[in-house]
Amino acid sequence: MTDSSTPTLEIRDFSLVFDTFDGTYHAIDKVNLTLRPGEAMGLVGETGCGKSVLTRAAFGLVPTPPARITSGSVTLEGRELLGLSDRALRGVRGKDVAMIFQDPMTYLNPVFRIGTQLVDAIRAQSGGKASKAEARALALEMLDKVHLPNPERQFRSYPHELSGGMRQRVLIAMALAAKPKLLIADEPTTALDVTIQAQILDLMAELVEDMGLTMIMISHDLGVVAQVCSRVAVMYAGKIVEDAPIRQIFDAPSHPYTQGLLAALPHPFKPVDKLASIPGSLPDLLNPPEGCRFAARCAKAHAACAAPVDFRTVGPGHEVACTLYDLAETKELAHEH
Amino acid sequence: MSTDMLSIRNLDVHFPISNGQVVRAVDGVTLSLKPGETVGLVGESGSGKTTVGKTVLRLVEATAGEIDIDGLDVRAAGQKGLKALRRKAQIIFQDPHSSLNPRMTIRRAVAEGLILNTSLRGNALREKVAEMLIAMGLPPQFHDRFPHELSGGQKQRVCIARALVLEPDLLVLDEPTSALDVSVQAQILGVLKDLRLSRPRLTQLFISHNLAVIRFLCDRVAVMYLGKIVEEGPVAEVFGDPRHPYTRALLSAVPVPSAVERPERLRLTGDIPSPANVPKGCAFHTRCPIAKVGVCDTRAPEPVPLSSGRQALCHFADQTKGALSA
Repeated sequence: MTDSSTPTLEIRDFSLVFDTFDGTYHAIDKVNLTLRPGEAMGLVGETGCGKSVLTRAAFGLVPTPPARITSGSVTLEGRELLGLSDRALRGVRGKDVAMIFQDPMTYLNPVFRIGTQLVDAIRAQSGGKASKAEARALALEMLDKVHLPNPERQFRSYPHELSGGMRQRVLIAMALAAKPKLLIADEPTTALDVTIQAQILDLMAELVEDMGLTMIMISHDLGVVAQVCSRVAVMYAGKIVEDAPIRQIFDAPSHPYTQGLLAALPHPFKPVDKLASIPGSLPDLLNPPEGCRFAARCAKAHAACAAPVDFRTVGPGHEVACTLYDLAETKELAHEH
Repeated sequence: MSTDMLSIRNLDVHFPISNGQVVRAVDGVTLSLKPGETVGLVGESGSGKTTVGKTVLRLVEATAGEIDIDGLDVRAAGQKGLKALRRKAQIIFQDPHSSLNPRMTIRRAVAEGLILNTSLRGNALREKVAEMLIAMGLPPQFHDRFPHELSGGQKQRVCIARALVLEPDLLVLDEPTSALDVSVQAQILGVLKDLRLSRPRLTQLFISHNLAVIRFLCDRVAVMYLGKIVEEGPVAEVFGDPRHPYTRALLSAVPVPSAVERPERLRLTGDIPSPANVPKGCAFHTRCPIAKVGVCDTRAPEPVPLSSGRQALCHFADQTKGALSA
């Protein structure tokens, strides 16, 4: 939003494989991703598309071996992260890059009070510089920011005494206490009920708006992403296939996979007669096709899909990895959409 | 009443917990399904929707109330009656992987119900099983595979095939697509919708927290909150003009996958109260934006009948027409 010269996060040409007994599994293939300060981006895809592996591996959270990063670079405000020592990466995680996950209970220690865990985390984030009293004050301030009712009382509660929505608020407070440059939210509302999910999404949208939070929100649900993010990248089989402003994804989805995903969704306020399903299944990533990884399931596949596919720009800030847009007539079609 | 395929009357399911307290998982639920009808049961965790489904098949014992399946009294059924009942009524669960025996081929899994309940054996049995699996989109090369060799969507098809091979009249589906990806969910929903044409007598009780899925599949919907049905009616009407504030809040909380067409948000504060300690009066009054002091916190509402088979459990249900519309 402010300084457009240095992106908060820049992932370039990032590839990752897993060495397995069956061969080399090409989990992430040449992914590019740029996130500017204050931007909230959704990363959407189905199970196994690599969305979680990508965001974890970028910050050294995927054990190597079995994983192996074969190419690329990851820079956080211009600083290269790949190749940093474990110790240096530990300084980045939690402080510069914070993460929240799907199941908040798993990430809280059941035998310590909420307050103790927050204070410990905040002191660790400060490198031991913050005193207990300072950490406590900041913890209470953060709990207030995430609208946890009765922060003073909850400070003394154990995780099991809190509901799922409240636990997620605690983790968001913990993650944001260090004022991280980037928040990774990996399916933060998937384990929550719809009305509670709506509350957490409201909170996240508010944090993005008011605190200028820069965020990647991973989800399998385009609807969830639409509540918070201004941009969305769609992943399929280890590749980003479309990257667009959120409205464009719904108004003019351009990759056949994105179109398929949207056509497969039932709608709560519209009668739908038939849902389109995507025939076939994911390609075998032990022997991935050289060209478009979606081609085998794509109704519009043609000869050019067998060769590696680059991104084409089809609108302002709207890129798609599909050869269809080289053909003049489809280009026009996309815009009529 | 006798024409209903499933009839649930004043069903209570209470679970005792420590120090004499009782969790009122299901509290006075009345619901009936006509033959061939698909009814959605929607609610958040702890609303009791799954308990209703399990009680219908007597996988959980009811505390009070009556359940009839096609005229058969489920609660009074003995050993023999139960065996007949389980043939008539089948259930499909959320996680197909944990519902299939990992050491049985899928052919064997589907055959088992037939072996236990019919005299089909040998080639006739084999053919019937193969026919069923093929109808569910699983070609013969799959039939000798084990569950771990199949994808989630394929496993859920096996579960549906296993349920349908006994030609039940009633199918209880407990979140059958929640564990699946959207593109696979679309396939399973397609299979279930096609069943409505190919088996016109098959009655489905579809339990889900996903309102979009209910809208796609169901004729009628019943919305549950803390063990009670708070609103019931034809799905298009309930979703188009919700009359209970909880229904409205639920509908407006759904993340809609489009940049436009969002109903105005009705925000709920707080969490669902514990079913061990249900609020007095209307159970929803602690979170309700239109609750009136002196009414909702003291008097429990009675179901208010509305037009065309609709009803809502709210003191103000007949005053909210249009006012709460999504």
